[in-house]
Amino acid sequence: MTERVGFSAGRVGTIALNTFTESVRQKVYYILLIFALVVIASASFFAQFSFSEQLKFVKDFCLGALSVFGALIAIIGTAQMLPAELENRTIYTILAKPVRRGEFLLGKYLGSVCLVAVSLLFMGLMFGAALWFKEHRLIAEALAMAESTPADELQHTLQQIRAEALDPDILKGVLLIFVKLALLAVVTLLVSTFSTSMVFNVAVTVMVFLAGHLRGVATEAWGEMLWVRALLAIVPDLSAFNVADDIILGNVIPWGHVGKVALYGLVRTVILLAAAHLIFSRREI
Amino acid sequence: MDAIRTENLTKKYALGWRRGKLLALERLNLRVHEGEVYGLLGPNGSGKSTTLKLILGLVTRTEGEAWIFDVPCDQVASRLHVGFLPENPYFYRYLTGVETLEFYGRLCGMRGAALQKRIDALLELVGLARARDRRLAGYSKGMLQRIGLAQALVHDPKLLLLDEPTAGVDPIGSRDIRDLILRLKQMGKTVLLCSHLLAQVQDVCDRIGILNLGQMILEGDVRTLIRDQRRLSFTVQNLPAEGQARVEEAVRAAGGQVIAVEHPQTTLESLFLDALRKDERGMRQHD
Amino acid sequence: MWVKLWVVLVLVVPAVLTVPLEQSIEAERTRLKYGGAPLTRAVRASVGQGMAIALLAGFRGVVADFVWIQSQGFWERKEWLRQYRNIELATTLQPQSVLFWDLAQWHLAWNIGYAVRTDPANRTAAVGIKREREWQERAREMLVRGIENVPNRYELYFTMGWLYWQKLSQWQSDGFCRAAEYFGLAAAFPNAPTYVGRLYARALEKCGQRQQAYEYWKMLWADRGRLHQLPSVVERELKRLENELQIPVEQRVFPEAMQP
Repeated sequence: MTERVGFSAGRVGTIALNTFTESVRQKVYYILLIFALVVIASASFFAQFSFSEQLKFVKDFCLGALSVFGALIAIIGTAQMLPAELENRTIYTILAKPVRRGEFLLGKYLGSVCLVAVSLLFMGLMFGAALWFKEHRLIAEALAMAESTPADELQHTLQQIRAEALDPDILKGVLLIFVKLALLAVVTLLVSTFSTSMVFNVAVTVMVFLAGHLRGVATEAWGEMLWVRALLAIVPDLSAFNVADDIILGNVIPWGHVGKVALYGLVRTVILLAAAHLIFSRREI
Repeated sequence: MDAIRTENLTKKYALGWRRGKLLALERLNLRVHEGEVYGLLGPNGSGKSTTLKLILGLVTRTEGEAWIFDVPCDQVASRLHVGFLPENPYFYRYLTGVETLEFYGRLCGMRGAALQKRIDALLELVGLARARDRRLAGYSKGMLQRIGLAQALVHDPKLLLLDEPTAGVDPIGSRDIRDLILRLKQMGKTVLLCSHLLAQVQDVCDRIGILNLGQMILEGDVRTLIRDQRRLSFTVQNLPAEGQARVEEAVRAAGGQVIAVEHPQTTLESLFLDALRKDERGMRQHD
Repeated sequence: MWVKLWVVLVLVVPAVLTVPLEQSIEAERTRLKYGGAPLTRAVRASVGQGMAIALLAGFRGVVADFVWIQSQGFWERKEWLRQYRNIELATTLQPQSVLFWDLAQWHLAWNIGYAVRTDPANRTAAVGIKREREWQERAREMLVRGIENVPNRYELYFTMGWLYWQKLSQWQSDGFCRAAEYFGLAAAFPNAPTYVGRLYARALEKCGQRQQAYEYWKMLWADRGRLHQLPSVVERELKRLENELQIPVEQRVFPEAMQP
């Protein structure tokens, strides 16, 4: 008998879709409702500030919340995946079929990333709606004061409101947030390949999250010691993904830089995925 | 060719740092022939589940080897013709019966109309046709066991591994599953089942093996094993009292010994099933 | 054991391999001035513990906004020094924010300046004026720092010019000349709005450089087709200056408007 079972993208897709469906039906997306509250609040308050301030606040708060809630979905969604599979023994039924462990792990991961992507899409749409709403209100306010403003100054104001409200560069920021969350998800996945407790998975990932942001500070403080540098190099540098603040301030973020950071995230993700596979393929289930 | 063959299959679990190792299975030589129903018996912790996991490649063996239809069990291809029902399966609570079978079918490379046809047939076979679009969160224990069986059968495997298929299921459900196993045997499938409910094993199995503390302590044909060669029992009807005395007399005269004379008792199970059958309101439908 | 070795290999070796990529990203961030000032212990201490965690987790903009919004409350309670502290903190957190620098000087020179001058606690009017000048000086210093951080945009040059024109020229004899200097720098940016150029011309005139002002108005006239330029204003100013400077008729843009 020379039957061979190769790697199958179809099986990966089946498992990914199943993971995604399961999360959606578990109503993970309720978390998005809280995001909606942040969006509405940030878009409705702060009327006493200037239009530039108001738009900055909306963008900062919405992108900040998008990043936080995205991270919550990525970490919690991924952290419970393998423990739930083990506890419900569903993993036995899957791996007893002609399914490779790598296919199972990749499928699980992609399902989780899918959930993150769809959540970001929804949050992005809400964010866009908030900006649109704010833009129209600010323009209406500016026009109401048109009597007392010179024509060219008014034109300049309107132009500025439009430019600040609809800055396509924000998409670059959202893209890099997505890459960062995908990286966080794979960190969680890696931890859950050798632990069985969801709480442990979440705790370790949150520590990696903080350490990843603190790398710069830590390198400055203790960078002279080589072993500290080596230790820090293991943790991905997450501050590299934070360009949203700069985009909001109007800093130019070239596509070349976005591409380089995304590539960095991808390389890190692939490395961690490989490590997760290595551990998981030898795990006793 | 054997459906399952193991040679000196051994498994030691590490218990953690400085706590040594647990010998879960020791030098098991198991052969399950094609087309037979083999019962692996033993108390809890005797190594039954470990054996199944080793055969399925879910845990790595410490020593020895195992084959499924002559394919080494650490190859993915060895699982092409195996269906597995784990102990107390839960499955994905948020999927419906049909979706569950679709999922497992796709994992086995099935698609489209062929898969749909197979799913309909399976749901009919396990008696869940009416619950097909309900989410598994609302299934009873027996229904979960049956959807588990359907899932194991989805790609029409030649070999079935069943871990405690009737644990926690009520007698009616349990009898249904027993009937199903017999039906599968008639269809030519090979079945390896683990259980500690001996009465049921006795009814369906051709051969059994008994494990204790990781070692096979007894193996053989069921009927041969349980037959008491030195004793004989008669079951007679409408025998008057003096007739009984003459029979006992005849036995003694022929050199035999009468050990016990008693009214045969029905089993509690058949009493239970009988009572339900006689209930005028009929029996609960399973789906 | 083998597994552990493999994991170490898989984790450490590629991590080392990604170091060049990380360093290149870091170099680009520094070159493009992303992220702002380093989060020193002093900065972390001044935002408070909760905010410091948010800062370290990468939410710099959100923290700066909170600090900024808080400063509004201090303004309402007339706690000017605390307001000043928060404004400085916000600009330290996001030194790339034109908005913060711009509004910072406005709060200091205009709002607080006026409030301290008219403060009933002042013994004499002279005290009020002295206090106002101090706050205006703080505003100027703030803008110097702002321009240092965002030198490649017109906004802060314009703001500085406006500060000199509106406030500092009251006490400084060269106030309008300094205003002209900054307006000139701002107007040189192609994306500066048209009124910056017109203010530049007016500031030149107020500085006493009427000939240069005239030349600049002429340039604006040549460029009158530009969007949002107000040709009628340019025309009026040119006509006035041509008469006041007694430009020979053959050199005038509007010879017909010559007054005897």
